[in-house]
Amino acid sequence: MSTSTNTESQEALGRDRVVGAVVEALSSVLGRPLPDVTDATRLFDDLDLDSTSVLGLLMALEDSLDMEVDPESLEQHHLESVGSLTDFVVEHSTRN
Amino acid sequence: MTVEQVAEAAAPEATARAGREPFRTRTKRALAGAPDAPLVLLGNFEVEDAWAVGEVGLPSVGGASATAALVNRMDELALLLAGPGDHVVLKGEPDPDHLAHLDALGVGLPTVHVAESSDPLRTVTLDALDSPALLASLRGLAADGVRLLAHGTSSAEEDLAVATGLRSVLPGVATTKAVNSKVYSRGLCDELGIEQARGWACRTVEDFERACAEAARLVADGATVGVKDAYGVSGKGILVVDDPRRLDQLVRMVTRRAARSGDDRLAVVVEVWADKATDLNYHFTVAPDGAVTFDFVKEAITEGGVHKGHRIPSRLPAEQVDELAGLAERLGARLAADGFHGLVGVDALVRTDGGLLPVLEINARSNMSTYTVPLQERFLPPGWVALARQYPLVLDAPLPFAALHDRLGDLLPGAPGEAGLVVQATGTVNAGAASRAAGGTFAGRLHGLLVAPDDDALARLDAAVTERLAPIPAGATGRPTGGDPR
Repeated sequence: MSTSTNTESQEALGRDRVVGAVVEALSSVLGRPLPDVTDATRLFDDLDLDSTSVLGLLMALEDSLDMEVDPESLEQHHLESVGSLTDFVVEHSTRN
Repeated sequence: MTVEQVAEAAAPEATARAGREPFRTRTKRALAGAPDAPLVLLGNFEVEDAWAVGEVGLPSVGGASATAALVNRMDELALLLAGPGDHVVLKGEPDPDHLAHLDALGVGLPTVHVAESSDPLRTVTLDALDSPALLASLRGLAADGVRLLAHGTSSAEEDLAVATGLRSVLPGVATTKAVNSKVYSRGLCDELGIEQARGWACRTVEDFERACAEAARLVADGATVGVKDAYGVSGKGILVVDDPRRLDQLVRMVTRRAARSGDDRLAVVVEVWADKATDLNYHFTVAPDGAVTFDFVKEAITEGGVHKGHRIPSRLPAEQVDELAGLAERLGARLAADGFHGLVGVDALVRTDGGLLPVLEINARSNMSTYTVPLQERFLPPGWVALARQYPLVLDAPLPFAALHDRLGDLLPGAPGEAGLVVQATGTVNAGAASRAAGGTFAGRLHGLLVAPDDDALARLDAAVTERLAPIPAGATGRPTGGDPR
């Protein structure tokens, strides 16, 4: 697995916590509050995320969830929406 | 060299009065040996992606770029760089109503050749290489002595030259790639003693660790740092860092990747962001004999490092234009010594203290600023101002030019010398239509040149175009005319 936390626990991160972290990370890289996002909100089309910001987004997620993400393991479809990115993080992570 | 600034805003007649040959003919004279040399133009934008193959840059997300289909349709921008005696290879047929509109405005159009095999995710060159009938047509042009001018040369454009017999007016991929690296650019400035942002060129992971350790100290003191791929383009492949922890994270990512791959090569630069007042793009042409012609300087409009457009002419004082023209001579001579000839754009900036930072990066290929020059010469009266820009679109159905014309109406000029928006290309407007989900929207982009008598009028025109292009609620896109977008 190319993405993992730094702990040995194998319990998956709670999805609600991950959604919160994804929205916070998005807000951080986009530089604006995001009060109305849902799972269906599209990162590129609805939020105007650009490819330049993706690396910063992953770093912000690493910070808030205390995990390591290898960018190469992330594929384009994982970045379609808040929901798909959340699913990726939940699937590829374990809780601290 | 204030004549260039004047020429920048001049119509062809005024250009001639200022003693300046129009851009198209002087470029042909420099690169192909004659002012009327016929060319085949190829708009293979983001050729950097091809140069980056085999290079190790910033960690990147897998899969195709979300904007690849749109960028590939920027091929159509070559249409208006070419003249009536030229040929342009495109991925798709231009909108006939757009061509008729341009014709009515007196724009002399080239002969268009369309690839019969087209994939939205391929560049125009790769489409052409997969199109036997097109290749046969191009072989015919080669036999007539027509030469090839690509946006920039990668191995695909070399393959096209071999497959068709078209002789390129540009050097091959090895030279072109070498001089377009941001690592090369920093070395060249060091060698010539040209001031540049404090920074580090990194060829290995170890170089990068050292650079990030130094940069982190500056960031901790309040600096902002950019980490750039050697072959990044227009804001892609850049990470802007204002928190030293991010540099630590990045080093860890890069180190982990190198440990996995066993490859410690890296091709990035780390640079301290300067306090910027204005972005600039200046442009020169290097002939095969090494002669350098300074073409122009424009104010660049960027957001987050991503190119958004140009303000023409620049408002630089004459001394600073002269300074850039002098630098262009030195840079051009150095590029020529390394075997390069062709069109070159340099990104630079004016600092908040008014001084120039004259080289941010060297792009030894056609630039966005290149493609609007013939339009400026035709549509921008002396003393007027122009804004070359792109408008993002959100569409729920393809928007043909007739419907666009209907929407923009009186904002389009009726003749050269009138204020308005000259639409450069429409291929990018509907590039995303094929990939949209049923019932969903897609992102498009309209490229154009706004001309107006003064800055206030230009701002009003820009705002009006933006308003007219705003999304229209579902079910109300366009009016039911012959150009109904549905």
